[in-house]
Amino acid sequence: MTETKTAETCDSVNLEIIRGGIRSIQAEMEALIERTAMSPFIREKKDFYTAVFDASGIMAVCSNNPIFGDLVGPVARDFPLETMREGDLYWYNDCYGSMGAVSHSNDQVFLAPVFLGERRVGFVMSWAHFADIGGLRPGSISPDTTDIFQEGIIVPPMKLATGGVYNDAALTMFYRNSRYPASARGDTRALIASVELGVTRMRELASRFGPACLGDALEQLVFRTRAVVQKCLRDVFPVGTCRFVDRIDGDGHGSGTLRLVFEMTRTEDDHFIIDATATDDQSVGPVNFLMNRDVPGMALGLYFLGGNPDHVMNAGAPRSLDEVRLREGSLLQPRFPAPLGMRGLTMMRTLSALNGLLSVAGSPAPAAHSSYVVVLLRGHVGERHFLMSDGIGVGYGARAYGDGPDGVYFVAQENYPVEFLELEYPVILREYGLNRDSGGPGRWRGGCGIIREFEILADEAILAIRLDGVHNPPWGADGGMSAGPGRVVVNPGTPRERHLKPLSDGNRLVKGDILRIETGGGGGRGHPFDRPPASVLADVLGGMVSTAAAENIYGVVIADRTVDMEATAALRKNRYETKDFHRGSYAHVLD
Amino acid sequence: MSSTDPVSSVVSVAVDIGGTFTDITVQDRQGQAWTAKTPSTPGDPSEAFLLGVSQALSKAGIPSHDVRRVLHGTTIATNMILENKAVATALVTTRGFRHVLEIGRQDIPRKANLYTWIKPARPVPPAHVFEVSERLSAEGNVLIELDEESVREAGRACLSAGVRSVAVCLLHAFAQPVHERRVVGILTDMLPGVTITASSDILPVVREYERSLATVINAQVMPGVSSYVRRLEERLTGYGIAAPLLLMKSNGGVASGGSICRSPATTALSGPAAGVVGARAVAMAAGFSDIITVDIGGTSADICLMKDGAIRLTQHGRIGEWPLPLPMVDMVTIGAGGGSLARVTPDGVLAVGPESAGSVPGPAAYRRGGTQATVTDAHVVLGHLPSLLGGGMDIDVQAARKAIADTVANPLGLEPGEAARGILAIANNAMVGAIRVVSVERGYDPRDFVLVPFGGAGPLHGCALAELVGIRTVLIPPSPGVLCAQGLLAADLRAEFSRGLRATGTPDAVMVEQSFTAAETDATTWFTEEGVPDARREMSRVALMRYAGQGVELTVPWPGTMAQAAETFAAEHRALYGFDLPDATVELVSLRVEAVGRLGGAITRSLPPGQGARATGMQTVLFASEPLETPVYDRTMLGAGDTFEGPAIVTQLDATTLVPPGWHAVMDESGSLILRHKIKESR
Repeated sequence: MTETKTAETCDSVNLEIIRGGIRSIQAEMEALIERTAMSPFIREKKDFYTAVFDASGIMAVCSNNPIFGDLVGPVARDFPLETMREGDLYWYNDCYGSMGAVSHSNDQVFLAPVFLGERRVGFVMSWAHFADIGGLRPGSISPDTTDIFQEGIIVPPMKLATGGVYNDAALTMFYRNSRYPASARGDTRALIASVELGVTRMRELASRFGPACLGDALEQLVFRTRAVVQKCLRDVFPVGTCRFVDRIDGDGHGSGTLRLVFEMTRTEDDHFIIDATATDDQSVGPVNFLMNRDVPGMALGLYFLGGNPDHVMNAGAPRSLDEVRLREGSLLQPRFPAPLGMRGLTMMRTLSALNGLLSVAGSPAPAAHSSYVVVLLRGHVGERHFLMSDGIGVGYGARAYGDGPDGVYFVAQENYPVEFLELEYPVILREYGLNRDSGGPGRWRGGCGIIREFEILADEAILAIRLDGVHNPPWGADGGMSAGPGRVVVNPGTPRERHLKPLSDGNRLVKGDILRIETGGGGGRGHPFDRPPASVLADVLGGMVSTAAAENIYGVVIADRTVDMEATAALRKNRYETKDFHRGSYAHVLD
Repeated sequence: MSSTDPVSSVVSVAVDIGGTFTDITVQDRQGQAWTAKTPSTPGDPSEAFLLGVSQALSKAGIPSHDVRRVLHGTTIATNMILENKAVATALVTTRGFRHVLEIGRQDIPRKANLYTWIKPARPVPPAHVFEVSERLSAEGNVLIELDEESVREAGRACLSAGVRSVAVCLLHAFAQPVHERRVVGILTDMLPGVTITASSDILPVVREYERSLATVINAQVMPGVSSYVRRLEERLTGYGIAAPLLLMKSNGGVASGGSICRSPATTALSGPAAGVVGARAVAMAAGFSDIITVDIGGTSADICLMKDGAIRLTQHGRIGEWPLPLPMVDMVTIGAGGGSLARVTPDGVLAVGPESAGSVPGPAAYRRGGTQATVTDAHVVLGHLPSLLGGGMDIDVQAARKAIADTVANPLGLEPGEAARGILAIANNAMVGAIRVVSVERGYDPRDFVLVPFGGAGPLHGCALAELVGIRTVLIPPSPGVLCAQGLLAADLRAEFSRGLRATGTPDAVMVEQSFTAAETDATTWFTEEGVPDARREMSRVALMRYAGQGVELTVPWPGTMAQAAETFAAEHRALYGFDLPDATVELVSLRVEAVGRLGGAITRSLPPGQGARATGMQTVLFASEPLETPVYDRTMLGAGDTFEGPAIVTQLDATTLVPPGWHAVMDESGSLILRHKIKESR
């Protein structure tokens, strides 16, 4: 680079250039992980993220994922920033030790400071879900766990490399604790290479613009995001308190329905306080979500920034909130060593609950979505053992201007193609399609869930399943209805048919068994009678809505692949009453 | 050359149909060229095609029956895909999988926002996806026999849906096409006049969503492309040209009309590919084989790297929203071009693109109604563009200044010149990012390469981009604005023949050899169909390899044995990613035979020696350091060996070149203008 600028402050042109530069760094780090990682979890499912931080560890740019906390803080607590040197690299997966920055132990964080000469100019991070890190069952997460020690090895924030020299013993110990050490090794190398690449690129950026200008740019990015989110909070939330309650079906250990209670208070002097202290107590089972205090702000921030490419997600979003109150011993702030492995379903309902808060305040947030479904199948064919971790998509909530997406998992996470799955694992897919009528009806339809039906070719296999929203389906809003629930059935339609508990482990399957998983949808928005008949017809012909539902719920009569306009008009004359929310039935307030 | 060899230096006609103009180049046996330009006729492009050809031939005084080759680059398939103007199409798939397109990879894209993202409508709605009863295993064994009655039922559904094209993609058909073949047979009988595409013919590789999509895209454009090609061939025959019509593909090669009609999706990126092939030809003629090309048009820029003159192919390309894993030139496209709009965001940040002013209203300086500042307006304000199209069109400097002042300078409190430099800095930075993707990210140091900027706006940005990445040599092609024609004349016949290996793990040598031989047999059949004589056939073997467990393969030339290939692979992995894994198993995932039928290429004629460069005028240019009186040179008046120093501006019919201070220019006898940075870059 020939151009070196040493301005102390960054002007609006360089700010845009630096922002573009950081985006490229992120894209390059992510591409490297995607191309070199070894476990299907990372390379096909793409469960990985990256972020770039300023010199003091404040997150300046991250992936579009709301589930991030303060990632540098846990390292800085044990390794003061001023003691860090070039070539140092840090590593952890300690949920409690990071106060929820990592929220289950499978997620490994690799983090390194970036130096230009003697001066620290920032940090880069790569993070990915590792397929197996030991613990009670293959895959490390299981509905059966009752403490975090059963969920695999815990790595406290530690220094993995000092001045470029790696602590190989620590890695050897880590690999030895995995049931799939080759994958663990390959994935670790991929993440480290990605961090090293990020360090090089960030150093180049610092040398091109000067550390002061870069530092100022990162600070401006955080400041700008915070300002935008703060303005949106003021526009949406009136002075006073809004409250929303959402539910999960339970912890798989007999808890029954558990409630997540969120309150947003705007004070007279414009302080914004999130209070989730009324949430139910922590659980015996692993559905506890050790929520980092940054999560509500990240989620609200991502909602407010929308798809606007002028802004980036960063620590500015959580800084727009003045306080986040959580209660120790609750589902959202469990005490060590409560198990956390299946926290994903609580996390997804937390996002829905925050959408609910926004809806109560009158902002057109998406209706609720189902929690993505996790399947862990461990078994053997002869002597060969396998672990299949499959993630199955669900329906997402309807927006105020569009249908909820059908059959998606989460940001950036992909499925295993059928052809890949059958090549790699002893299963045959008999069906993979959208789950008809699972999308919550509305003017805008909620997304449909998915049907994935396996035939087991393994001699024997043990199944763990995580599927929520069966008893408490995702709510609809503004007159829209709640989504259809999911279910798990073995050998459907045969004398050997049996229904599995939707959050359970230890389900034995044998060769020839049929495993049918149907996942839930997303809630709808707006009165179903307001959906244009042509859209309902397209849904019926496309297999997303049944003829019966079209008639009974949407008031659209379909015969011979066309809309009977007369009969439809007659039905729609008797328009039913709706209320603000719907979960099974209409209600002005959900509890 | 003897007349029995159809692929020697012969009279060739190259036709490039753009949105506004159709450009025709005729080249005779000695390499002399004549060009013609005629307005495009979007209603029936073959009208402008034939008019232009007849004009160019009469200019050249060459009778139509002397033409031995007609080369054509078309964006007809591209436009049909991007503008969603393709015909109604059905997809026939395996029972149980009708939502294969709807579900896709079940992700919300990494760059999308969870709260606002709406799933894009698929090219075929689920109501037009029909299932047939059959099933193969991953190894290609029949698990469920094909139920022919279910195929006929699907055929009847196609009939009542009124589709004009059908894509057939069954699970695991890449391993065993027997069921797909039978389905195509039955549907062909049932659906006269309907085109039918089988996935095993288009893209026999694993992953059903991507393969289904490629098959659907191919099917959708097939009727349109077929009738287009047929009409062109009829017009040519009617005009007395019996020569074969060869069309440019996304892989940078050409193929006959017949093979394009079977797999039209292979032309999806033919436009940018033709430019890259043209850039390669002019760079090689000037003695450079390591180049980075930057093709800057009105709305986007395409960036591509060539090492040792080799154009790399990728199977991870995209078209619009969709992945399209057909082999295509490995390039990066970004939304920054001459028409890209500059704006100030509500919180005071200057942003450029991806929105574009297009050709209407266009940049404010063009007086077609544009009022918002564009990249071109920034050039005008800074004095980079004294005139356009060789003086054929006036530039409204005042309008450009006003647009920059209104939309950028005033809101940010800047001088118009500063604002214009800011706009260019941001546009250049986006292009530098793309240059880094094709170089640094692929393990190359951009400073080892020559930059070849082209397209209407390329030569204005070339030196600035070179300075930003530390490149010391910039090559401006003879006709940077119309390089596609050059690319067509220089193109060879190209096709790839892939074989997936069904088993994972290390394959045995016999199986590998058999697979390569099978692919080479296909290639030989293709050579014969295309009429390529033995002496001009070239085949090379490449292997797609990865570490067991990885999801993305690296392409390495096949050195002969698996052990040698593993070494090459490890070296490549180190170069690209910074590490290799000596203990891990290396897998061979698929094989590819790349077939090339050499057409002889463009013949370059040397430029007559110059009489010394003489400026034809002066222009004030606002460089960052200071305003400088800058000489303006007319490109047509420069001869071989002529030299001059920057600052300078070089004008020609199709582009304007900006030579900043610190650069030295020399006209190469190949006709290219070579710019060298005078201060040697320290490394």
